[in-house]
This record gives sequence, C-alpha cells and structure tokens, in this order.
Amino acid sequence: MLEQFLWVIFPYIVLTIFIGGHIWRYQYDQFGWTSKSSEVLEKKQLRLGSLMFHWGILFVFVGHVMGILIPESVYATLGITEETYHLIALAGGIPAGLAALIGLLILIRRRATVKRVRVTSSRGDWIALLFLAIVIASGLSSTLLNVDSRGFDYRTTIGPWFRSVLLFHPDPSYMETVPVWFKIHILAALSIFAVWPFTRLVHVFSLPLRYLRRSYVVYRKRMPKQAEQPYNIH
Amino acid sequence: MKQKRSPLWNRFKYMKPIERYANEHSEATYGDRAWENAYRRRWQHDKVVRSTHGVNCTGSCSWNIYVKDGIVTWEGQQLDYPSTGPDMPDFEPRGCPRGASFSWYIYSPLRVKYPYVRGVLIDMWREALQTHKNPLDAWKSIVENPEKAKRYKQARGKGGFVRVSWDEALTLVAASLLYTVIKYGPDRNVGFSPIPAMSMISYASGARFMQLMGGPMLSFYDWYADLPPASPQIWGDQTDVPESSDWYNSGYIITWGSNVPLTRTPDAHFLAEVRYRGTKVVSVSPDYAESTKFADDWLSVKQGTDGALAMAMGHVILKEYYVDQQVPYFQQYAKMYTDFPFVVTLKKDGDKWVAGRFLQAKDLGRNVINAEWKPVVYDENKKTFAIPHGTIGSRWDDQGKWNLHMVDEETEQPIEPRLSFLGIEDELVTVHIPYFSDEGGKTIERVVPAKKAQTEDGETYVTTVYDLVLANYGVDRGIGGNVARTYDDLVPFTPAWQEAITGVKRELVIKIAREFAQNAIDTNGRSMIIVGAGINHWFNSDTIYRAVLNLVLFVGAQGVNGGGWAHYVGQEKLRPVEGWQTIAMARDWTMPPKLQNGTSFFYFATDQWRYEEMPVDELVSPLVKKARYSHYADYNVLAARLGWLPSYPTFNKNGIDLYKEAIANGKTTPEQIGHYVAEQLKTKQLQFAIEDPDNEVNFPRNLIVWRANLISSSGKGHEYFLKHLLGTTHGLLNDDEDSLRPQEITWRDEAPEGKLDLLVNLDFRMAGTALYSDVVLPAATWYEKHDLSSTDMHPFVHPFNPAISAPWEARSDWDIFKSLAKAVSDVAKQIGMKPIKEVVATPLLHDTAQELTQPFGKVKDWSKGECEPIPGKTMPNIHVVERDYTLIYDKMISLGPNVAKQPMGTKGIAWSAKDEYEKLKKTLGTIKHASIAAGCPDISSAKNAAEAILTLSSTTNGKVAVKAWEALEKKTNLRLADLAKEREEECFTFEQITAQPKTVITSPAFSGSEKGGRRYSPFTTNVERLIPWRTLTGRQSFYLDHELMHEFGETMATFKPMLQHRPFSKKRPEAKGKEIILNYLTPHNKWSIHSMYFDSLPMLTLFRGGPTVWINKDDAQEAGIRDNDWIECFNRNGVVVARAVVSYRLPRGMAFMHHAQDRHINVPGTKLTNNRGGTHNSPTRIHVKPTHMIGGYAQLSYGFNYYGPTGNQRDLYVIIRKLEEVDWLED
Repeated sequence: MLEQFLWVIFPYIVLTIFIGGHIWRYQYDQFGWTSKSSEVLEKKQLRLGSLMFHWGILFVFVGHVMGILIPESVYATLGITEETYHLIALAGGIPAGLAALIGLLILIRRRATVKRVRVTSSRGDWIALLFLAIVIASGLSSTLLNVDSRGFDYRTTIGPWFRSVLLFHPDPSYMETVPVWFKIHILAALSIFAVWPFTRLVHVFSLPLRYLRRSYVVYRKRMPKQAEQPYNIH
Repeated sequence: MKQKRSPLWNRFKYMKPIERYANEHSEATYGDRAWENAYRRRWQHDKVVRSTHGVNCTGSCSWNIYVKDGIVTWEGQQLDYPSTGPDMPDFEPRGCPRGASFSWYIYSPLRVKYPYVRGVLIDMWREALQTHKNPLDAWKSIVENPEKAKRYKQARGKGGFVRVSWDEALTLVAASLLYTVIKYGPDRNVGFSPIPAMSMISYASGARFMQLMGGPMLSFYDWYADLPPASPQIWGDQTDVPESSDWYNSGYIITWGSNVPLTRTPDAHFLAEVRYRGTKVVSVSPDYAESTKFADDWLSVKQGTDGALAMAMGHVILKEYYVDQQVPYFQQYAKMYTDFPFVVTLKKDGDKWVAGRFLQAKDLGRNVINAEWKPVVYDENKKTFAIPHGTIGSRWDDQGKWNLHMVDEETEQPIEPRLSFLGIEDELVTVHIPYFSDEGGKTIERVVPAKKAQTEDGETYVTTVYDLVLANYGVDRGIGGNVARTYDDLVPFTPAWQEAITGVKRELVIKIAREFAQNAIDTNGRSMIIVGAGINHWFNSDTIYRAVLNLVLFVGAQGVNGGGWAHYVGQEKLRPVEGWQTIAMARDWTMPPKLQNGTSFFYFATDQWRYEEMPVDELVSPLVKKARYSHYADYNVLAARLGWLPSYPTFNKNGIDLYKEAIANGKTTPEQIGHYVAEQLKTKQLQFAIEDPDNEVNFPRNLIVWRANLISSSGKGHEYFLKHLLGTTHGLLNDDEDSLRPQEITWRDEAPEGKLDLLVNLDFRMAGTALYSDVVLPAATWYEKHDLSSTDMHPFVHPFNPAISAPWEARSDWDIFKSLAKAVSDVAKQIGMKPIKEVVATPLLHDTAQELTQPFGKVKDWSKGECEPIPGKTMPNIHVVERDYTLIYDKMISLGPNVAKQPMGTKGIAWSAKDEYEKLKKTLGTIKHASIAAGCPDISSAKNAAEAILTLSSTTNGKVAVKAWEALEKKTNLRLADLAKEREEECFTFEQITAQPKTVITSPAFSGSEKGGRRYSPFTTNVERLIPWRTLTGRQSFYLDHELMHEFGETMATFKPMLQHRPFSKKRPEAKGKEIILNYLTPHNKWSIHSMYFDSLPMLTLFRGGPTVWINKDDAQEAGIRDNDWIECFNRNGVVVARAVVSYRLPRGMAFMHHAQDRHINVPGTKLTNNRGGTHNSPTRIHVKPTHMIGGYAQLSYGFNYYGPTGNQRDLYVIIRKLEEVDWLED
C-alpha cells in the first residue's frame, strides 16, 4: 500500500500540482513570475554561487535526461557499454553535482549572512533553497555510494518506473530493489516539484530562448480588440 | 468591460507566424501587451481636487491633489492664478518640493490612525467608571489621588498608548474639562493652536469650542517670537507687509536676516525676476545664506549686532539727506507721515536734561476732548503749537477729525509743521541720551535746539522728535555735543563705530546707505528691506527692528508700492478676518472671548520664571539708577494688575465662585461686581493667579493642542515643559536654588511638577506633542477636509477640499471639536449642570477707547496706592458672562443671533451684519431641531462655516467691504468707499474659490489697496488716502514716550548688545576633552518646516537622515570635531545630541541647529542626562522683555498676537563637544 502511494499516487499528485500550479501562477501572478534577483543587494558572493550552481545544475539535468528518460536499449543500440556509460555518467555527474552543491551552499550562506538579502527574503526563497539542498545532497550521495558499476543499475529500475509514470502505466514494482538513498532522492525531488510553482523556481520556464532567433528590432502589434479598448483598466 | 485575456493563452500567439521586415532586421509580434498598462496607469488618476497645505510656511500655495483607487497618489502645482498684470511676472507656479512630498505623509507610519490614551490612565479610568456613578466623580477619584495622578503623569512621553474608542476618549476629556470648570474655574482649561490663516476653520473649531467653554486661547505670534514688537510700536499695526509680487515693483532690495529662497521658496522667483529688471539686491546675513546668492553686495554682519549696522546706515542717511541737503520728497514725507514734527518735552533729571514725553494739548491748557491724548506740532504759519488732525485723541472723540490732513483741529486752518527748532530755538540744550554696549551702559551728551513752552505746570523746554533723533544718531549739526565730525569718528552711531561691533567695513555701510536713499529719491520711495527671523528672534529684536525700519521711514519708502519693510516671519494674513473672528471667538453667542498672551502663560506655567539670574537692573537705561523690579516676572504681575496684559488663569478663585460671592454680598449689576472685585483685590482678599503661579489652585489643568507641535517644535525651554508642566522625566541641568527672587510673587521652595491634568493633542502625526499627550485624537490631513487658507504673500483665499474622506478613524478638527462639544454637553446633562455665571477679566485693548486709559505713559499702580483700582481704566475690565454647558454643542453647530444683533467690525470700526445673517439662513439652511439654536444658520459642517466666513468678511464680500469703508469714512471724514465700490457686487463662495483663486477685495481690515488689480503694499491707503496710523500721533513713530520705554532707554531706536549669557553659571558637568562654546541659533530648516515635517522620509533622504548641528570648520577643528561626528550641545537648560555638519558657510562663533528636527528620529543617548538627547529647544529658554508688556497706552495696548512679550531664545550659548560614546539605549 505504501509502495502504491509513494510510487503511483504521490507522483501523480505532484505532477498535477506542478502543471496546474504553473498554469495558475502564470495566469494570476504575472508580476510575481520572476527569478527575484537579489543582485542589486549583493554582487560578489552571488556571482560565484549563482554561476557554480546554475552551470552545475544544468549538467546535472542533462545527466538525468541521459540516465532516466533515455532507455538503456538506446545505448545498447548505439554500442555504448555499461562501463562506458557509467564512466561518462560519473565523470560528468560528480563534478556537476559538486559544483551545484558548492554553489548552493554559497547561496545559502549569502542569504543567511548578508543582512540586506536576509531581510528581503521570503519564506518561498528559503523553501526553494532548502529543498534544493536536500535534493542535491541526496542525489550526490546516491551517486557517490554507487560508484561501483556492478552495483545498483538505475537504468533498469528507476528509469523504467519513471517512464511508466509518464506513460500512465505506473508500475511500482520497478522500485522494489532500489536502495533507500535513491528513494530519498526521488521523494525529495518529487517534493520540490510540488512546491516549484509557488517559488522563484518558475523562472526556469522563462529561459529567454526566443533571443536566439528573434530579429534585432521587435514591434509588438496591438491586438485588434485592444485597439478598441486601449487601456485595459480593471 | 472586456474580460482580461488569459496570459497563458496569449503565450500561444507565438504560434502565429511572425512578420519580418527589413531583411529580417525587424519583426512584428502579437505578444501580450497588458503589462504595459502597469506603466500607463502610473500617471492615471480618478480625480483631481484643489487643496492646499495648512502649514505655517506662509506659502498658501494652491495644489492639485490626484486620487487613484481612493488613494492620494501625488500632488501638482495649480497654474490658474489670476494674472498680476501685463508688465509683471505671475504668481504661478507656486509650491515647493516640501509641499510636493506631503502625500507621502498621509499613509506614513507616523500617521495617527485611532484615538489613543496611555494604558496606565485608561486602566484607572475604566476602573473608576465602574465604581463611580458619573464620569465627573470618576475623574475626581483619579486626579485628586496624588499617587494615581503621579503615576499617569510620570508615564508621559514613555509610550504605552492603547487604542480606545472615540466615545471613551471624548468622555474622558469632557469629564476633565467640566471637573476643572467646577473645581478651579473655566479659565484653567486652555487651548493652543497657532497661525489661523494656514487653516482657519480648523483653528476656529477649537477656538470656538474653548470660548464657549470659557477657556482662554493662547497667542502664538509673540510666543514664537515671530511678532516684531517694533511693528505695533511704530505703526500700531500687528504686521502688515507687501505681497511677494510687489518685490517686482522695487528698485532696491535689502534682504536682512531673511533667507528668501529657503523660507519663501514659492515667492523667491520674484526676487530673481526683479534683478533682471535692474534692481540691486543686498544681503545682510552672518552666514552665506541661500539668499546671499541673489545679492550684489553681501554684508556679513556678526549675528545679533544688526542694530549697530542699521544705526550707522541711519546716521549716513540723516547726515547726507536731511542735514547736508534737504530732499523735498523726504521732507514732505517726514512731515506728513511720521512723528518727526511732534513736540517733546525736556525734563530736568537732577542736573541733566533728558528727553521727556510728547507735549499734549492738555499741557497747553487747550480745551479739547481727550486733551491728554492730542500731541502737538509747531506750526510755522502761526508760529505756535497746534493740534493736527489724526491724533489718537481725535480717533475716539468722534468729531470726524481722525485723518492725516495737516490741519489744526481747533481752527481748521492748514498747519505748516516745523521739523526742527534749529534756527528758531530759544536755547541749545544738552540732553543725555542712553547708550548700551557690551561694556555696560553710559550716557552720551548731545545738543538739541529747544523752545520754551508755557504749560499748565509752568514753563518747560521742548524740542521736536526730529531734533532728538538727529541728536540720538550723533549727527553733527554744528551745534556741539558729543557728535561725529566724520564717519571715521568712533562715536555712536557712525560707520566706524559699528565696524568694531558688526565686522562690516565702514565703506560698504556708507555705500549701501547712500544707494538705498538715492534709489528712494529717484523712484519716490521704492526702496525695500525684506526682514526675517535672523534679526527677529533676539531679546532686543525690537530695537534692531526699529533701527532697520527707521531706514525705510527716513527715505519715505513706507506706504509705497515696491518700498518699505517686508517682514515674513511666521506671519500670515487672515484675509476674511471679521467673519472668521466671529466664528472662531464664538462672538455670535458669547462675549468677550478669553485671549491670553502665550509667552506669559508658558513663562509661568513651565516655571521658567523661577530660574532668572540676570537682574533687570543690568538691562535698564543708564539714566535710571535702578529698575522698577529686579525680576522680569514682577513686571508681568504689574502688567496683569494694571490691565496691560491678559492674565489667565486670572484670580486665585474660580470666576464662578467669585460671582456667587459678589451676589452674596449684594452686588448685582456688572458695574457693582466690577467694583466688588476691585475692592477685593485692593484689600488683598483676592489675588491674581499670577501672583502665586505655583499654588495648585492656579495651575492650568487641561491643555488642548491642535495644528501645533508644542512639545518639541515651539516649546522653548523644552526641559522646563517636561519637568514642571508635564511632570515627567526631563533633562534639565539647572536648579533654582540661588536664582532671583521676585517681589510681587509668592515663592514656594518646592516647585510643582506635573501641573497639567490632561494634555490633549489633535494631530495626524505621532510627533513630540502627541507622544507626551495623555489623549491623542486622530485628525484629518489637509487633503481630507474643507478649510480656508490665506497669506500675506499673495492676495488670494484658497480652499481645502477633501480629496479622500478621512481614513482610518481620523476626523477633521471641526468634527472633532463638534464631537467634543457633544460629549461635554452630554456629561453636563448627566450631572445636571445648571447655567452658571462667571466673572471674567479682560485687558485694556488696542483699537478700543481703552487705549486712552493711562495717559502720558505714566505707570500708576493702584496696589501701591498711586491710584484707585477702577475696572477698565487702571486695572482690567471686569465682565459677567453666563454659560450653559448643556448647550455647548447646540451653539457650536449654529451661527448665533449676535451676528445680527451686535455690531461687527475690526480695528475700531463697526457695522451691522444683519443682511448677511439673513442671507446665510437661506444659503446654509437653519438648525431645525428644537433647541436654543433653532432657526440659526447651520454651520455644523466645516464647509458651511467657511461659507459663513466668506459671506461675513469685508475682503470676500463686496457689500461688507463697502459698509466697512463707509464706517471708516464716518470716523475719518474722508472719502474711501470707492476703494471697494468697483467690486461691491462680488461675494466669494466656496465653489468659486475652488474653481479658481480670486483676489480679495480692498478692505479697511488691512492697510493696502488691491483696487484695479494693484499689487498689495501695506500702508498705501494711509499715505494716499490720509487714513491715520493707529498710533498716539496718528503717524509712524520714531519716538515712544512711555515710562517703561524711558526705563529701558528705548524711546528711540538704538543699539543694544546681545544678553551676556553663559552656558553654566555654576555646577557645570565635568569637562572631558576638547570643547567649544558657541552662540546657539535655531533657524529654519531647508528640509522640513515650514512646509513639511522633518520625519518625512523623502525629506530625511535629502540630508543625513537625522538631527544635525552646523558649525564652522575652524570651530570644529578647535573642538576636535570632524564632519558627521556625533556631538552633544548643552547648557544649563538641557542637552541636544546631533551629528556635526562642518561647513565654511557659517562664520565662527555660532552653531545652527535647524528648527524642529523631530526627536523621535535617530536621537542617541547622552551621559549628561542618561536619556536621549533633547529637542532643538532643550538648550533654550525664553527671556521676557518688560517693554513688551506695556498696555493701556495708545498703540502700546494689548491685542491678541499684536503685543506682548516675545518668546525669544537666541541670546544663548552652548558647550559643544564630541559625543564620547554613541549609545542608542536599545538594551
């Protein structure tokens, strides 16, 4: 029953909150949809912490896509052996994870010790930092405890489970043999997705990808209806 | 309205193809644009309302108040002032950055939102109400219990406020007020609110309530030391000055101790503009003031010595333009409009001749009415003495001869008055003239040409004022005496003599004096001196002013557009004066009002009188061996006794009990009761309260303060206030062990602490006064009420309109006093109060026949048996007034029938307002409910009260103006009504002035004319229409012959040095490290008053964000102080802690602590008091000057805010040193 809840019901609750929360937030809190940069209040520590954290977490994210979303069979087809995969995963994952963790610790310390940043922090800011710390610390420790390539293989357990959830054929049985530290990491990650829409983490979805392909000069058209009612007074 | 589009849906507009142009250099998208509205809405608003700021900056600028979503968002200057005419710059734009930041204040954390009472008091009150049957007994159980009273009084200023309901707060105050009325007398309830013109309805609300209650209102103009006593002395007028646009008519302007761009910001543009017209501007200022930047020449005078500079300039002008050559314009002006030609007796004092008093018709045995009050001139035509028209005697004999025609009132023949007896003298007489300096007084021997006159007392020598003045100034006329042969002689008052005192080069003084006079010759008097607080807040400011003002009189500049004095110090012209004083003083229901001079009140109430150390003898004329009294307070007792000054609380008995006592003794009519009181006083059965101010029966009990910040802004002697009036923790470093002891006052070794039972404050800001009050009531701001504002800087009357309704639980002052009146009436009904009668004393008033009661300026004290006590003649008037406390509310909200029944008027003229009263019944509606007020015009709303004021006043109702001029025509036998005739049909309404500012109508309430769009300049109607000044001679006065003026050596302008004050006379705190002693000055602040408060964030942001004291860089170095160091400034009166602003802008020897830097902002502690530093007023105290107390004598008679001792505080020194340790006392 617990297994059923943890690996079937809970993920869907999280998924619902995650998607619904973002829609709700975007609809009703346009001005709150922001990374809430505190650069104006403190620069030095932020530059180091933020850069380390963001680059680290980007590579971590790529690693997770590689390890969880892409089935083992794809690698097999490409002729990448288990050992090679593990070597790549560890060589990329550990530095990325460490960078993210160190960056995050700098950011936490900064938020706690720089007075002007501290007094302008909201509860959401602290929650986001706290959850990130748990997720990264548990993820990194899972990786470090699983250096031996003959040990536990998440590509045959966590990966299929995750994909089964996304494909609406949830199968908790994949999770039976997963070591507890991986489970902690997964549950922590699910929790962060649940609070995600209500924190500054929403800025992930505002990555200005448009910049890559827009023209130098952008005119915004007035919508035909807006033209009739130029000032949207409410 | 269309539903807002979903932002998420808008995102999908990306799916639409993007139109690209210019080689893909640009593109058009359909992205969401709703976010732009946030920026568009920044400047959108729902409504704009015309209002103004009710502050004492005299700006009275009209503003647009912008409101969005029910919130005041910002304000902007109004631009629709009527034009000043085709050849002049206009008034607009008016308004400074301080005013523009006010909307911040409405929603600031400093805003008082609810009624508050300190917890310790409200707990006692609630408990007492449980155990007592009515509020009066409940209050009694608290204040008559010494332990309880002490407990809540000592909690003052220490926080602990709790929110209470309006009803609870008002009942508490009502109970205390009525308890005081019954137990001690109505005159123990006191009201204080300053400067009515800045928001006259708010002022009137409380003043009206106080007068209905029988409580005195305190004056403020003299208390603030903004009143220049020289103005009543010279002109018999409180203060009348040109509007700022008249500066543009000037040919030569001296700004003398006035910092125009800083304190008159909205008007300063005229000063800049007139320079483009070619006018020269000279700055007289010790520091490099903002106004100095306007100047072509800068006279950096040592602070407080301006009198010496002015005397030297006068010396040059008299020498070159009166003696060496005679300028026809000056000669004509002097003869017509000044007392120069009037004749003064010389008397023998031992073996010396000294100047005496004016030669009166009575002395010559002339058989005319008021012969003791008709000074004479010497008529060249008839070669004899003649009584000209226009003397004060003719003002009150109603023979139609009160005008400035130089005509003999006995023969109606024209007079050719002689300025000088030189050439026709019988003898040259050496007179002794008093002279004052830092080294002490001495007499100077000067020679005047004298004639012999046969008087009733035998033959006597006489001379003219002109001859005396020339002698006084030391001008060499070739007749000997200790006079100056050249300007380089070190003889008073030459340019060389002044150089040692003022530090200004003699050449510069001579040059400026010549230019000033020559400009007046070239322009017929368009030479102007803008005077300000810099020379006005001194103990001897009146002598400084007289020396300065003589300059404009010598050159015929007064009463001329573009010329004369321009005094802008806390002075605001309340234009619609007659209607206002009817409502504010509740004259429509009851007479007379009780009006008390503020300085005397606070001097005794705060026990500053107990700490006098410098005997008066050190200040009197060297011609007088000893002062009448050694103690200043004794003079005030004399003034109260002789009816010179008001004195509330008046007697050591309740006025109600006194009435009952008189009735019990069989006295019934007011005359009999008056004589009964006089008899009681004479036999010492009855005492003036002022003779025993520390007796608890004589304490003021309730003080209601509104529109003012008494405790921390205007309360000079701050620590004395805290100790004696409030009885709470204070920082006074002084004691009264070996201070002077008075003769006329009972000395009690134990000085009382906590005299006040209740301090009640109505305010919208939690500032000094509120923090020390027992009850704080939340008042509406200037954007939340109806009111009226006017000023002397421009000729308009501006409305206040509510942009928003008063937020939280705030109410307008009008509504608060209405509800307080209701609470009082309710409690009075609850305890079954019956109508009572009260004995009321009032002083001998200026502009009434009582100014003719004490002839020859001779002091006759009935208590010394020098005369009989006769009410209204040798002592105060005694009236009997009936009050019914159950009807206070009904009277408060209705305009009473006396408006129609009693004559209405001002300045000694009167007319009937019956028509206007009937009109108001129709325009305002009448009170419907059955009560004493039924059928009276309804003024229950502030707007109606404003409307009534506009209708009843001569400046805002043409018909009334014409009536007023006609009344003056009767008095003067002149044709005057044409001054207002062109606007007879106009009657201002509130709606009209809300639509656009309107220029007021020319009225005899003031001395200038606006006829035909003319710019206002004072005394132009006196000069052009020959209306006399309201003085002894009817002319502008160089000579004041009252006995007290002789005693202090001030019959003529002279130089008097600053008081010799030391920070400590004994027991000074231990010296630690370097320190410096500086003259402590508290001028106006650039970043707060007058038009904004210091605690406003936008203003704090502009300069150092906390209290500062400016000192010179060399002084700072000497004391080891660097810029921005924390310092403490202290003397025996108290301590102030601030940051040092080290500047070369200030000369050495002085420290500036800008006025009203609120103590609740960033004030650390000091070891000297183990408390936080005090306010800017902590190191200050007031010094009262006896000559300001004279009464019953022509222009030297009492008027509210017109005459009386000033609360000056400049002649003080402080020790300044670096703060050892900055302790914020936060643990």
